[in-house]
Amino acid sequence: MRLQQASASSIGSKILIALTGLALFVFLIGHLAGNLLFLAGPETFNEYSHKLISNPLVYVAEVGLLAVFFLHVAKTVAGVLTNRSARPTAYATRRWAKTKSPRSRKSLASTTMIVTGTFTALFLATHLATFKFGTFYEAGGIRDLYRLQLEIFSAPGYVAFYLVAMSVIFFHLWHGLSSAAQSLGVDHPQWTPRILVLGRVLSVAIAGGFFILPIYTFLLSRGVL
Amino acid sequence: MAMTVTLRVWRQAGPAAPGRLETYTANNVHPDMSFLEMLDVVNEDLIKAGQDPIAFDSDCREGICGSCGLVIDGIPHGPDRGATTCQVHMRRFRNGDTITIEPFRARAFPVLKDLVVDRGAFDRIIAAGGYVSMNVGGAPDANALPIPKDVADRAMDNAQCIGCGACVAACKNAAAHLFTSAKIAHLGLLPQGEAERGRRVVQMVEQMDAEGFGSCSNEGECEAACPKEISIASIARMNRDYLKAALGK
Repeated sequence: MRLQQASASSIGSKILIALTGLALFVFLIGHLAGNLLFLAGPETFNEYSHKLISNPLVYVAEVGLLAVFFLHVAKTVAGVLTNRSARPTAYATRRWAKTKSPRSRKSLASTTMIVTGTFTALFLATHLATFKFGTFYEAGGIRDLYRLQLEIFSAPGYVAFYLVAMSVIFFHLWHGLSSAAQSLGVDHPQWTPRILVLGRVLSVAIAGGFFILPIYTFLLSRGVL
Repeated sequence: MAMTVTLRVWRQAGPAAPGRLETYTANNVHPDMSFLEMLDVVNEDLIKAGQDPIAFDSDCREGICGSCGLVIDGIPHGPDRGATTCQVHMRRFRNGDTITIEPFRARAFPVLKDLVVDRGAFDRIIAAGGYVSMNVGGAPDANALPIPKDVADRAMDNAQCIGCGACVAACKNAAAHLFTSAKIAHLGLLPQGEAERGRRVVQMVEQMDAEGFGSCSNEGECEAACPKEISIASIARMNRDYLKAALGK
């Protein structure tokens, strides 16, 4: 079987969605780890961000990340359209089969993946505009990203928006992480239930980590910390 | 004590005709009647009144043939866990209830009449690879092919699939992954099915996609609706087989 043919099938598409989703999740971990350096103060944070963007490999990484992101979106949107057309007449009455058996993993998170995903994509655009392409302050010959972050998260509206956005991403990961494992064929009598729990723990950890930043920066800007 | 229930039933004269929900009253319903027996009584009244009876599929009426399949109040095969429509009894409902009855809905399962759908798509998926090829000849000795008990059990768990289509009906994407994966696992787990394992998964998945079923969102509603409680672990296994086949040749 040709790989091209396989990647267009329903299962091949889900495998690609899972792989790209996991790649984006790994990026999120790195992104969070880097951002948490904000807590270490302006010098450390600015130096870290300068080292990151002055490395020529960053362009390769950015192109790769963008490709992964677009593949994830393209495959998902195509899948949603196919799925919609698979049931042209809707049920007049609909209830979750979960109500008769707890074996279902259906949740609010699993039913809103396309909504939370779309929101995340839109958020990403504003996020890049705010920070990556935001005001260029300089301090000591390098970009003063610390000042920009301090400025942006001094506005309560921005803080609230970011907390909402992180909650949405948390929702997406709540179903997405363990779903990716299932798509990739991970099935084990002992490990599958643990993976389900691990996916949820990691989604809480990532969202929780990102929650710290706007709150901490806001409190710092108000002189509370 | 006899019950009276109101039924909202999907009526559709033919595949191309428009359908709608129509309301009927079922009187003298005994709690010990099965759901299908209740419909039989309603149909007898309709026939007596010179009206077209409600068309629905059923055969064995003991939960093993896979013929019956109604969406009762929004759930395929109704409210009972691990049960087919024919195993649902009227004691599950209360006097005065309104019950909505619809056919399994999927593009790949066109409505033939009322509550009867054409599940031929499943037959075509089976024909695409759900078999084991072997030459005719004397049957080998059963003990010549040792199969560990746990493997035989898992194959049997999957072989329980009666092809009713409740997995498709319950899935928000009308996907047939649970059915297809059950057949693939049932054959692929056993040494007789091993030889065609790669080819089987590729051909069956190709047919499944061609029939217009959706794709899997890993929610497991299929497993919850399945009268045989087949696990979505089989879907993971199918994905693994598919990945191996895709990377293999």
